[in-house]
Amino acid sequence: MLDALAQAYDLIAPVQGNNISFRRVESGSEVTLDYINPMLSAKSTFFPQTETLFRFSRDDSEEFGIEPAREPGRSQVIFGIRACDARSLRLMDMVFDGQHKDSYYLDRRKNTTLMGLACFDYLETCFCPTFGIDPASGEDVDILFSDVGDRFLVEAFTEKGTALLERFAEFFAELRGDEEQLREGRKAGLAGMKRLDVKGIADKMAQLYEGPYWDDIGTRCLGCGICTYLCPTCHCFDIADVSLDEGGERFRCWDSCMFPEFTLMVSGENPRPNQKARVQQRFFHKLKYFHDRNNELACVGCGRCVRHCPVNIDIAQIIDDVSSGKAGNE
Amino acid sequence: MQKTKEIQTEFKPKILAFCCNWCAYAGADLAGVSRFQMPTDVRVIRVMCSGRVPPELVIRALANGLDGVMVLGCHPGDCHYSEGNYLTRRRAHILKRLLTYIGIEPERFQLRWVSASEGAKFSAVVKEVTDQITALGPNRWAEKR
Amino acid sequence: MKATSAELQTRVKDLFEDGTISHFIGYETGSDSLRVAPCFLEGSQEIGRLVWNPVCANNLAKYLLDFKNVPGRVGIMVKGCDSRSVVELLKENQIDRDRVFIVGVPCSGIVDREKLLQVMGISPTQVVAVQDEGDSFLVTLTDGEQRVDKEKVLRDECLVCRYPNPPVYDVLTGETVSRLPWVGDDYSMVKEQEALSLEEKATYWNRELSQCIRCYACRNICPVCTCSECIFDKKAPRWISKANDLSENLVYHLIRAFHVAGRCVDCGECERACPMNIPLRRLNKKVEKDMLELFNYTAGIDVEQQPPLTTYRVDDLDEFM
Repeated sequence: MLDALAQAYDLIAPVQGNNISFRRVESGSEVTLDYINPMLSAKSTFFPQTETLFRFSRDDSEEFGIEPAREPGRSQVIFGIRACDARSLRLMDMVFDGQHKDSYYLDRRKNTTLMGLACFDYLETCFCPTFGIDPASGEDVDILFSDVGDRFLVEAFTEKGTALLERFAEFFAELRGDEEQLREGRKAGLAGMKRLDVKGIADKMAQLYEGPYWDDIGTRCLGCGICTYLCPTCHCFDIADVSLDEGGERFRCWDSCMFPEFTLMVSGENPRPNQKARVQQRFFHKLKYFHDRNNELACVGCGRCVRHCPVNIDIAQIIDDVSSGKAGNE
Repeated sequence: MQKTKEIQTEFKPKILAFCCNWCAYAGADLAGVSRFQMPTDVRVIRVMCSGRVPPELVIRALANGLDGVMVLGCHPGDCHYSEGNYLTRRRAHILKRLLTYIGIEPERFQLRWVSASEGAKFSAVVKEVTDQITALGPNRWAEKR
Repeated sequence: MKATSAELQTRVKDLFEDGTISHFIGYETGSDSLRVAPCFLEGSQEIGRLVWNPVCANNLAKYLLDFKNVPGRVGIMVKGCDSRSVVELLKENQIDRDRVFIVGVPCSGIVDREKLLQVMGISPTQVVAVQDEGDSFLVTLTDGEQRVDKEKVLRDECLVCRYPNPPVYDVLTGETVSRLPWVGDDYSMVKEQEALSLEEKATYWNRELSQCIRCYACRNICPVCTCSECIFDKKAPRWISKANDLSENLVYHLIRAFHVAGRCVDCGECERACPMNIPLRRLNKKVEKDMLELFNYTAGIDVEQQPPLTTYRVDDLDEFM
């Protein structure tokens, strides 16, 4: 089925390299299902790390021309996306499809069908139930694959999903009737997942703007971009031009609020002058500012930042400290 | 004024040569005054001392698509600033080995000693290096995307 | 590690209480028993947070720079490799020797988290503790104990470590370690790479470095990357584009390898931090080998030694005549 999908669409699925990441594949044999969650999220499918916005050039008569770099919407299928990453796309939509429409992101988003893969196991760093995410549900995808042992239960949740299943009907068989039951059985494996209390956390964060809680974390933080780049909901970017003799291009690329020059102004002034200020801002953004604007917390509990932070800054720990009041007592 | 693009039938390399003011640049000047013939693909940049050339400049030049980068300085022992070229020498060893290790032809970076009186040597070096780099072909670094 | 957390805590508590130090940089338990986090103490009240065990991978040396201006001395605990980084920082006058109190902890190897989980076939939540037992680690699990050969689960840089005992310290906590028996040719990895053809080398590094996401974790965690304005952050002139294509990634990694030339002590933090598992040690170790062969220089041993690229010998090798 994956082979056929790869023929008909741009198929993006998890591939084993130095680690497992979502990449474009030409055939099903390149895909691996040996993961809880790929290292890099599917964010780069809609919001690539480096993306040319347009090209400009000067022609023979000295006329200045601009041409868009975006190819007309190619149809994509992402296979193997987990519930946390699927939810993160809804959160990204609030940014890129909110007050200002980002045509680059939206073009891809509208032309992509999401094929989710239900989770029946989890890593020690996973905590998606905290945010009301059911790891084995298809709420945020078009089609959900659930491994019930010897086969996959395949369900469509949207019109787009139904249409794709119909188009590729030859690969699917009739339901035998016990799939739902098998799935419920497998979900028992998720019982031990971390579920933190985030009720009222935005208000609790507001109490912690001043105070020493962020000192330690700020000193520990290296100021690299690992958390922001691996995070499926982080979306900050920079824009730059490259010019050559005959023309050039404008591109955008991921940027990180952890980098010192993120808020550096031309005057030399930097409103977030030290790592403590930057780290504090990041958690405020995730747990308060985003919530203030969109009524949702900007974390999906995928745990990537916890797994890969070289100095073990742990957002689950921070949520727990804030929620329980421990952060305010330091 | 937009120049009409020539159709290149053979590869002509773009090579940078950082020449130290006191020896190599003077040697280059002498080569010119003496009318020694040499290929014209080398562009000279005058620096006060070969020791002023940081390795990142060489790396950046190669990454921008230059086919070769040369650093020419005074003979060891004769540096106008006493020690500059000794430091260049150490750096050049490390850089050459690092470039090779990454898979970039080491001939694309060359360090040579040319004194103010060695006009003939300058033109010989320019010819030799141009030939070497022409044989290597274009530097594909800038195309790696 | 022959020293226990308790011995370390006692040592540091005494240092605080007799006024030797006003701050201390150490380790505390992290999100699970296979993780630690850097810990900063300002007194002995929270001394119980300090731990010392085979999971303490972080090189804490760089944090000294955050404590340059505190009143009083800043204490730090350092393994052999970390101590060598401190030597490099002292060489470059990044911090004064008399502002630092170095608690040396001889180390007989740090556990590689991924290797351990894979070799033992367990998940991190099953691990309660890891103890050093000479040639093996004793791993206490939630349902029992198991021993595992060190050679199978040590971090790569520990397998070629030549300095398990800190070369510079004010006080030593724990017994000194004799040379690890399995240290072979430190540079076998580099020699293997050098033996490839130019094209194979290019293919290898192009593949590895095209995965780089330019998170700068390698630079930020490196104890000798200390420039107050890094070349890669400069806007005028701009040395590197933010775009993460292979061309720019090569520029970044080559320049960084050169900038740490003769200063890198192979603590392995860059490779540990890299989220894309890029073999950075394979790159930096090459320059380390060249420094040794060309200039007979080893970083991080002697504070008085002149950094190799700031000095010269008249009879240095010269291939450039």
